[in-house]
Amino acid sequence: MFGILDQQFSWLNFTILALAAVALLLVVLLFVMYAIYFERKVIGWMQLRKGPNRTGPWGLFQTVADVLKLLIKEDVVPKKVDRFLFLIAPIISFTPSFMVIAAIPFTENLYFTDINVGLLYYGAISSLSITGILLGGWASNNKYSIMGGMRSVAQMISYEVPLIMSFLGIVLMTGSLNLRDIVHAQIDSGIWFIFPQFIGFVVFLIAGNAELNRTPFDLPEAENELVAGYFVEYSGFRFAFFMLTEYVYTFALSSLMVTLFLGGWDAPFGLTFIPPIVWFALKFLLLVFYLFWARATFPRVKIQQLMEFAWKGLIPVALFNVMLTAVLKTLGIF
Amino acid sequence: MGELRTEEMLLNVGPQHPSTHGVFRLVVKVDGETITECIPVIGYLHRGTEKLAEDLTYTQIIPYTDRLDYLASMLNNYALVQAVEELMDIKVPERAEYIRVIVMELNRIASHLVWWGTGLLDLGAISPFLFAFRDREYIVDMLNEISGGRLTYNYMRVGGVKWDAPAGWVDKVRKFVPYFREKIKEYHTLVTGNEIFVARVKGLGIYDAQTAIDYGLTGPNLRGSNFKYDLRKNAPYSIYDRFEFEIPTGETGDVYDRYMVRMEELEQSLNILEQAVASFPEEGEIMAKVPKVLRGPKDAEVYTRMEASKGELGVHIVSNGKDKPYRLKLRRPSFVNLQILPDILTGRSMADIPPIFGAIDIVLGEVDA
Amino acid sequence: MWGTGFFKGLGFTLKMLTEKKVTHKYPDEPYIMPDRFRGIQHFEPDKCIVCNQCVRVCPTGCINLVGKANPDPEKKGKVIDTYDINFEICILCDLCTEVCPTEAIVMTNNFELATYSRDYLMKDLKWLSENNKNVREENH
Repeated sequence: MFGILDQQFSWLNFTILALAAVALLLVVLLFVMYAIYFERKVIGWMQLRKGPNRTGPWGLFQTVADVLKLLIKEDVVPKKVDRFLFLIAPIISFTPSFMVIAAIPFTENLYFTDINVGLLYYGAISSLSITGILLGGWASNNKYSIMGGMRSVAQMISYEVPLIMSFLGIVLMTGSLNLRDIVHAQIDSGIWFIFPQFIGFVVFLIAGNAELNRTPFDLPEAENELVAGYFVEYSGFRFAFFMLTEYVYTFALSSLMVTLFLGGWDAPFGLTFIPPIVWFALKFLLLVFYLFWARATFPRVKIQQLMEFAWKGLIPVALFNVMLTAVLKTLGIF
Repeated sequence: MGELRTEEMLLNVGPQHPSTHGVFRLVVKVDGETITECIPVIGYLHRGTEKLAEDLTYTQIIPYTDRLDYLASMLNNYALVQAVEELMDIKVPERAEYIRVIVMELNRIASHLVWWGTGLLDLGAISPFLFAFRDREYIVDMLNEISGGRLTYNYMRVGGVKWDAPAGWVDKVRKFVPYFREKIKEYHTLVTGNEIFVARVKGLGIYDAQTAIDYGLTGPNLRGSNFKYDLRKNAPYSIYDRFEFEIPTGETGDVYDRYMVRMEELEQSLNILEQAVASFPEEGEIMAKVPKVLRGPKDAEVYTRMEASKGELGVHIVSNGKDKPYRLKLRRPSFVNLQILPDILTGRSMADIPPIFGAIDIVLGEVDA
Repeated sequence: MWGTGFFKGLGFTLKMLTEKKVTHKYPDEPYIMPDRFRGIQHFEPDKCIVCNQCVRVCPTGCINLVGKANPDPEKKGKVIDTYDINFEICILCDLCTEVCPTEAIVMTNNFELATYSRDYLMKDLKWLSENNKNVREENH
């Protein structure tokens, strides 16, 4: 950030970085709170309800109250759990979700690290969360949670493959794994990658949706089959951590999608008087809205169908997309 | 490295589980996600209605029938009063019959709507539930207006009905019919065409008509297996022989067919409502002349049946000349229909429990009585 | 065609986004029940002739009443002394008001019975006679 990482280590720089990280954490927490609020409102409106409206004006403090309640709740650790794993699982799960945000450039100047392998970093770090989920499911010593944990792992590992393959096309086109370079390539060519890489975009959207465990792929926490899935034994702030992980990933993945396919902070139609951060936020909100919209509409798929769809549907399509991009690139069209 | 040890897992689904809709318990043995054995355990809501009824007068039993299939109380009310009327040979006035048919068909729609909403909620689609309840609310309001209750109506009496339709009530029903026809189309738009939904329910829980008959299934569960059997047509009671309507049937007998049969039944109920409202008698009695104390004849037995929203609801009364039945036996469709559950669930996966179980459409109040 | 169902569904929910909401503001605004609604009973001691019909007709046996001789020696018959309804088991079936010859016991449209202790669910004569709001007009 601002070249600090390239400078010599000093306590001042360290403090600045730490403060920046805390600021980002606060922004993310704020996002999570209002994402939940937004989700409940949107789904409420779609279901002819009003959504939260009791706490504060238009219910704006509802999620604040919810989070507060989770934080001050008694920390219940059931007797027969594997205590150590049970306690660290939410942390293992949450930390990577926050780490991946570091790689995402929000605007030209607002970014934390400019990693050359940003995309790879995202893919590698985000898969660490699965460990936490599996451990949580296993350590809870509950039949429902182990099933939820297993489902979750199977699903996330399967969908990671098409997710990463779907942006290989972009990597081929730009010749870079650096997220800033990718945005610059879109600004320079004046065309967002959603158009030349439409197949990639669709695959990314579906795989990303599955990666986030959101409807229609929310079966690790399928309430009506598994009660709550891997976090069935968790309560209080440990549960809040799992919840937080989920929404921070929503934040990270939507941001990544904006960066990769929607031109990052690039202003369309030359509307440059609107600041880039606003453009980023708008595109970002559009994607987040889609996730909530899908939740209000679709039923859940079945685990067998889910795996079939990943390996027999999405991966071939993603591979085809990579090949097509390679061929077009060789022919000089891209 | 030795071989990995695997073992089956015994899982208690219920009695407090989100997809069992009440206090139903399913003990399943799962091998991974596959169900190898499944035993339904019932009785958590047993109140001994049949035994209690031996100590109650015929009028007093009516509020108890409300609590059998509490989503379709009007139909239960009717099952009982029909039996008592047959026992005592009472002729019900025409206007009362019309009101009965209207409230029963409204209640059938309400019952199917709850099934539709909760069934899809179990599949993870959260919105249909709200849409179903929005429209059910109109029905419940109408029934509230005529009977004074939103769920437990206690509306029918031996020989007629308790209240006459209030002014303007029939018009409300008339207006409801086209409104709801539109809504059914919306339901199909939202759910029936959805590829995920179709993929989840097509080819699931198949049984043929013979199996269904062997298990004693009735109602949509039987009709879904391509067997035309509806007591409103096969053994008409009340004034159902005056109305034109179809009996929808399925082709293969899977969950999707049972779903479509119920959706089709909503339309048919609307057809009946439309005709009933059109030929609704302007005036007339709503109560037949019945003695103040209802005494059954000596040594008489009667079994009557009717098409409830879940299937054939039969009432068997043995009378010994007192004002209370000597014995009352209820043939509860939910209870009978539940028998097939282990058969179609074994060998399927955990994720198939909600659609298969939901398609049988039971109400625990009726299962346990 | 495969795939159209998704878009139809999405389109439908999007359309619903701006539709009028159908929820009630229940605790803020009272929910008005139709006149026939069977709510908590209202009891008028002066009208009661202690005929015991409501006790006999009650399917759950939740009514308990005690009569006493008329304090006015000129008049015959009994007057009501205590009248209790146990709302733990009352199912609000309306049969007591249906049999009452003098409309001493009638239904109201009040339905809020939730309390913190089941002791409060034993309603006595005083409480029932004070429950005189929203009394149902039509009782038979």
